[in-house]
Amino acid sequence: MISIYLQKESWIHRTPAGFKLLAVAIASLLLFQVKSIWIFLPCLAVVLGLYASLGREGLAQLKLLRGLTMFLVILLALHWVSGTFWEGVAIIMRLIVLFLAANLVSITTRMDDMLEVIQPLFKPLQLFGLSSRKPALGVTLVLRFAPHMLQVFSILREAYQARTGARGSWRLLAPFAIQSLRMSDNVAEALKARGGSQGLSR
Amino acid sequence: MALWPNKRRKETARVCDANASPFAVFENVGLTIGQRKILEGLTLSLDERRIGVIGLNGSGKSTFIRMLNGLRTPDTGDLKLFGAGFAEAEQELPHHVGFVFQNPDHQAIFPTVEEEIAFGLTQLGADKAESRIRALEFLERHGCAELATSPIAELSEGQKQLICILAVLVMEPRLLVLDEPMTSLDALASRRIRDKLLSLPQKIVMVSHDLSHFEGFDRILWLEDGRLRMDGNPHEVLAAYCRDIDGRSGIKMELAAL
Repeated sequence: MISIYLQKESWIHRTPAGFKLLAVAIASLLLFQVKSIWIFLPCLAVVLGLYASLGREGLAQLKLLRGLTMFLVILLALHWVSGTFWEGVAIIMRLIVLFLAANLVSITTRMDDMLEVIQPLFKPLQLFGLSSRKPALGVTLVLRFAPHMLQVFSILREAYQARTGARGSWRLLAPFAIQSLRMSDNVAEALKARGGSQGLSR
Repeated sequence: MALWPNKRRKETARVCDANASPFAVFENVGLTIGQRKILEGLTLSLDERRIGVIGLNGSGKSTFIRMLNGLRTPDTGDLKLFGAGFAEAEQELPHHVGFVFQNPDHQAIFPTVEEEIAFGLTQLGADKAESRIRALEFLERHGCAELATSPIAELSEGQKQLICILAVLVMEPRLLVLDEPMTSLDALASRRIRDKLLSLPQKIVMVSHDLSHFEGFDRILWLEDGRLRMDGNPHEVLAAYCRDIDGRSGIKMELAAL
């Protein structure tokens, strides 16, 4: 399955993969402590500014958020019903900021650079005779294919809209799950055909 | 040193012989999934340079060729690949057998062309820097240097399929197995890919529904309902296949000039 990458010579592309992943990790830790939408608003502005710095192609990536709309609306509705509407707004803003930040790393980082950063984190597994490459490749693939999953959802939503006129429905969840499983099967088969997650050595 | 030694990490001796002739020997091989017999009683050996596989949808073609790369495991019979039993050879098969999928979108894992090519080299043990350099050299040798930094998602279908074939070839397999590689290509791209394939030194096993793609092939296998219906030279097998289709549909089918 072909993953998404934004081909460009930007400063974000040139920033080391380790720095970008660390920044997203720290931002995630900090933002999970925050509950005020007045802090999320400038964070959102910063992330949008980063996308804008990539030019028109970067801003076009924001369309991926459409795939999340239904989930966010359901989440907000649940909070509204339970009387915690503003808490719901804060949670949604946090999700959007973190999603956009993670996506930015994914579309501006080569997969092998990402793998090189992630693999050392799993080095301790080698003490137990386990592979560090296998879980690192797994994490890298998840990071890489997350934006692709949203694209898959957008395509399903469009197909549904074309036949029903409705913008989205919970009915899409089942086909989305099936397509996601098929996608993981395809990736696994493609990987196995070239020697699997462990690789080969002559 | 590992505190908990993992048996799977133990170095194992190579069991496959890359120059084995024939490279595949099927003896009464079968595979059943659920209640359905996907392949049944296949007995044949493969040795020719260019082997085509034909049959209607659901005849077992894809399963058959996936066994050559270890992507499917037979549950009955005896299958020997490159001189070794299937179970022993399975882990080693990607060394010797390159597999090209029908849909390039299902094969390419990496976002850019150069990364996709370099992955094959890292799988063989090259480090990141070396694999990048060798991938660029390889792309240049095949006239695709200008595509190196391109995102694969933005290539034409023909370019994507070519990159998928190159990503497999960079691992220098002895055998190239292709599952309907020209299905989504236009006539020109299809012709280019076919010419590329015919120019390769590797042995080829290819599935296709377009019979004209078998021009220059040495042998055709016709599968039907998981069984080998006919096996022989392309002229005879393709003519019989066309007659069979004519008989079923009542529509005349053109046999490509061979």
